[in-house]
Amino acid sequence: MKQPMSERAADWLVKIAAGGLVAMTAVIGWQVFGRFVLDSSPSWSEQTALVLMIWYVFLAAAAGVWERFHIRIELLERRFSRHGTRRLRIGIHVLIAVFGLIFAIYGAMLAWEVRIHVIPSLGISRLFAYLPIPFAGLLMTLFSIARIRVRLAEEHS
Amino acid sequence: MEIFVLFGVLFLLLAIGVPVAFALLGAALATFAVADIPLIVAVQRMAAGISVFTLMAIPFFIFAGDLMYRSGIAERLVRVADAAFGRVRGGLGLVDVGASMMFGAVSGSAIASASAIGSTMVPLMDEKGYDRDYAVNVTVTAAIVGLLIPPSHNMIIYAAASGIGVSIGDLFLAGIVPGLLTGGMLMVTTWAVARRRGLPRGHFPGWRAFIRALVYAIPGLFTGVLIMGGILSGIFTPTESSAIAVIYTALVGTFVYRNLGWSGFWEAAQKSVRTAAMVLFIIAAATAFGFALALLEVPAALAGLIAAITQNPILTLLIINLMLLALGTFMDMAPLIVITTPIFLPVAMATGIDPVHFGIILMLNLGIGLVTPPVGSVLFVGSAVGGVPIEKMVATIWPFYLTLIAALVLVSFVPSLSLWLPSLW
Amino acid sequence: SSRLGDGLLTSVDTHVNGYPTVEAVRRFGELLSERTGGRLALRIYAGGQLGNERDTLEITTFGGLDFNRVNLAPLNSIEPLTIVAALPFIFETTEHMRAVVDGEIGEEILASLERHGLIGLCFYDSGARSFYNTRGPITRPEDMRGLKLRVPGSDLYIDMVRSLGADAVPMPLDEVYQSLAQGVIDGAENNWPSFESGRHFEVARYYSLTRHLLAPEVFVMSKASWDDLSAADREIVRQSAKDSVPYMRSLWDAQVEKSREIVLASGVEVNEVDPAPFAEAMTGMWDASLTLPRQRELVERIMAMRGTA
Ligand code: NA
Ligand code: NA
Repeated sequence: MKQPMSERAADWLVKIAAGGLVAMTAVIGWQVFGRFVLDSSPSWSEQTALVLMIWYVFLAAAAGVWERFHIRIELLERRFSRHGTRRLRIGIHVLIAVFGLIFAIYGAMLAWEVRIHVIPSLGISRLFAYLPIPFAGLLMTLFSIARIRVRLAEEHS
Repeated sequence: MEIFVLFGVLFLLLAIGVPVAFALLGAALATFAVADIPLIVAVQRMAAGISVFTLMAIPFFIFAGDLMYRSGIAERLVRVADAAFGRVRGGLGLVDVGASMMFGAVSGSAIASASAIGSTMVPLMDEKGYDRDYAVNVTVTAAIVGLLIPPSHNMIIYAAASGIGVSIGDLFLAGIVPGLLTGGMLMVTTWAVARRRGLPRGHFPGWRAFIRALVYAIPGLFTGVLIMGGILSGIFTPTESSAIAVIYTALVGTFVYRNLGWSGFWEAAQKSVRTAAMVLFIIAAATAFGFALALLEVPAALAGLIAAITQNPILTLLIINLMLLALGTFMDMAPLIVITTPIFLPVAMATGIDPVHFGIILMLNLGIGLVTPPVGSVLFVGSAVGGVPIEKMVATIWPFYLTLIAALVLVSFVPSLSLWLPSLW
Repeated sequence: SSRLGDGLLTSVDTHVNGYPTVEAVRRFGELLSERTGGRLALRIYAGGQLGNERDTLEITTFGGLDFNRVNLAPLNSIEPLTIVAALPFIFETTEHMRAVVDGEIGEEILASLERHGLIGLCFYDSGARSFYNTRGPITRPEDMRGLKLRVPGSDLYIDMVRSLGADAVPMPLDEVYQSLAQGVIDGAENNWPSFESGRHFEVARYYSLTRHLLAPEVFVMSKASWDDLSAADREIVRQSAKDSVPYMRSLWDAQVEKSREIVLASGVEVNEVDPAPFAEAMTGMWDASLTLPRQRELVERIMAMRGTA
C-alpha cells in the first residue's frame, strides 16, 4: 500500500473499531436497563458484546501496525547505530508481516472450521466471531510492507 | 526442549524490540510448531482470550476516563483533591492511592482500577507538574490492593480451584487487614518518593474557594457514588458498571458541563479504542502463550522441586512465593490461580499453612505479577493510559516493587494479619 | 501424534482434580495404559486451565487436544441431536436417563458428533439440576415470577427459565457468587455438587428440588487423534471409556451425598417440589427446540422408555 492509502485505511479501521466500542457500550447499557428497569434481560447482549470485542480489538490492532502504537521494549535498540536500528526495524516489520499472514491463513481456517457451529442466543454462525481475524491479518501484512517501503525510501534519500 | 523454545523465542523477540503481543504470539507459535500442535489453536486461543466478559472493564474504563478528561469532570475532581491534600508533598499521589484502593475494592479488578484511575489521574498529575512515570507507578501498584480488599472475584476463582471448600466469606474477611496494610505502606512510599524527587506541593486556596471547587465537582464526584452505589446495591455487576460509567460521563459532559458534544465523544472513542486494543491484543497473545506454558506443565514441575527441597513451613512459603513471583512474571492472574492452587496448596497445607491464609498470599503474590514485565496486564494498561514506555516505568518503579515485596513478606509470615478477622465470626 | 512425547495423550476438564468427572477420566487413563501395555498414557489438565468448555471443545475438533469431558450445552450449539438429552423434564428419573444414554439412543447421539470432528465415547452423570435463590422456597411455577435467575449462555436454559415466568439472566459462572451476594440476581440453578463447590450456598439460602434437568455429561475424543490410532487401540479406547462409567457413577453418588451434607449443615432451607406443573409449562419450549424430525423421533423413543427402567 502507498503511504497516503495506508494512512486512510488505518484511519478507517480505527473509526470502525470505535463504532464497535460505542455499540458495545450501548449493548451493555441496554442489558442493565433491561434487567433492572424492565425486569426482562436481553438474551443476546452478552454474546453480542463478546463478538464485538473480537472485532474491534483485531481491527484496531491491525491499524496499530501502521500507526505503530503497539507496546514494545526498546532496550537493545538504543545500543545500535542509526543504520543498525533501521535494519532492525525493517526486520521487525518483516516478522510482523509473517504473523499477519499466519492470522490471515489460520484465521480463515478457523472461521471455516466453525461455520456450522452456532453462537448461542444469537442463532448465527460462529464464523462471524472469527471473521475479523483473517481480515486484520491481511491488513497487518500490507501495513508492515508499507512501513518497510517507507524505511527503504528514507534510506535512499 | 519445548520450554526452552517458549522462553528463548520470547526473550529474543522482546530484546530486539518486537511489540510485546507479537513476541508472545511468536513464542507460542514456535512452541506449538515444535510440539506438533496445530497453529490454528494459537489463533483460536487469542480470540477466546479476549472474548471474556470481565475484560470489558478495560475498554469501558479507558473510554470513561478519556471522557472525564475531555469533559472537564476530571479537572474539577482534581481541583478538589488538590485543595484538600495538595499541601502534602505528593498529595495527588496519595489521592491516587486512596482512589485506587476504593475503586479496586469495589470492582475487584486491578486492571479495571488501573484503567479507570490511570486514565483520569495520570493526565491531571502531569498537568500539576508531577512526573508521568511517577504517576503511572503509583497507579499500577495501588491498583493491586483492590485484589485483597473484598469483594474480589479472584478469591472466588481460588476457592473453586482449591477443591476443598474454602469459604469465600472467610477469604473476603481475611483480605481486609492485608489490603489496608499494603495500601498504607504504598502511601508512605508514595509520599517518600515525592519528597525525594521534590514533586510539587499545592497550597490551600481558602475555605471559600475550596467549597466552590467542591460544588463544581459534584456531578463528577457522583460518578464514584453511582458506580460504587450501583454495584453495592445490586443494580449492576462490577463489569457492567464500567459501561454505565461511560454513559454517565458522556451525559454529564454533554448536558451539565456542556463541553463534550458529539465530536468530543467520537474523538474519545477513537483514542480509547486504540489504547484498549493495544492492551487487549497483548492479553490475547498472552492467552496463547499461557496455553503453551500450561500444556508443558511448567508449574507442576516447579512444585515437585519444593517437596524435594524442604518440609520446613517458613522455607516452603519462601520458596513457593519465589516460584509464584517468577511464574507471575510471565502469566496472567486468573489462569495462574487455576493452575497453581491445586499444585501449591497441598504442599503448603502439608506444612501446616491455613488455606485461607494461603489464598491471601496467592492474591498478593500474583497481583505483584500483574505489574512486572515481561507479561503484566496492569503494567501494560498503565503504560498505555499514561503514555509512558515500559522501560521508563520499570526504571523508576523499584521503591514501589520493594514496598509490595515487604508487604508480601509480612502477609506471608504473620498469619494473624489474615486470620484474625475471620476468627471473630 | 508426538505432541508431548510418544503415546502421551491430553485430556481437559473444567472441573477440579478430585471431582467425579476428572477422577473417572483418570481411571479411563489407567485402563488405557494397562490395556496397551503402557504404549498409551493420559495427562489430564483439570480446572479449566486450558480454557472453558466451548473453547477447548473447538480445539478438540481441530485435533489440538485429544480428549475432552464436556457438558451438553456447548455440544448443543454444534449438533442438534444432543439437544434432545438436554430438554428439561425429559428424563423421569436417574434410572430412566441412564437406561437411555447407555442404550441405542445414547449410541446414536454419540455417533452424531463424528461429522463435527469428535468421537463420542460415553456419557457421565451430572445429577439433577434444581433452582436455588436468595428470596424464599419455590414450590410452584408462580413462585418464580419476577425472580432474576442466572442461566448459562444457552438457548435451552434461557427458554426454560422464561417459560417458568422468571427473568433469565445469562451470566458467566464466575460472576454468580458476587451477583447473588449483591442482589444483581436472585438465584440460579445447578446440581448439589456445583451448588456446594461454587460456594453459592453461602449466599443463596433456599434450594428447591425441581430436578428440571438430568442432562448427562459427555466424554469425547478428537477425531483427528482417533484416526491416528490402530483399530485395536480404538477398541481399547472405546471399551476403557465405557468401563469408566460405573466407577464415575459411584463417585458421583458419593459426591452428591457429601455435598448435600455440607449444604444442609450450613442451614440452607431445602424443599421438595411437585414437578408436574413445571413440566407442563415446558410444552412450548420443547416444540420450539425440536426443529428436526430426527429429534422428535428420538424424543418419542425416550418417552416410550419411561417407567420401564
Ligand atoms: Na476487591
Ligand atoms: Na508479570
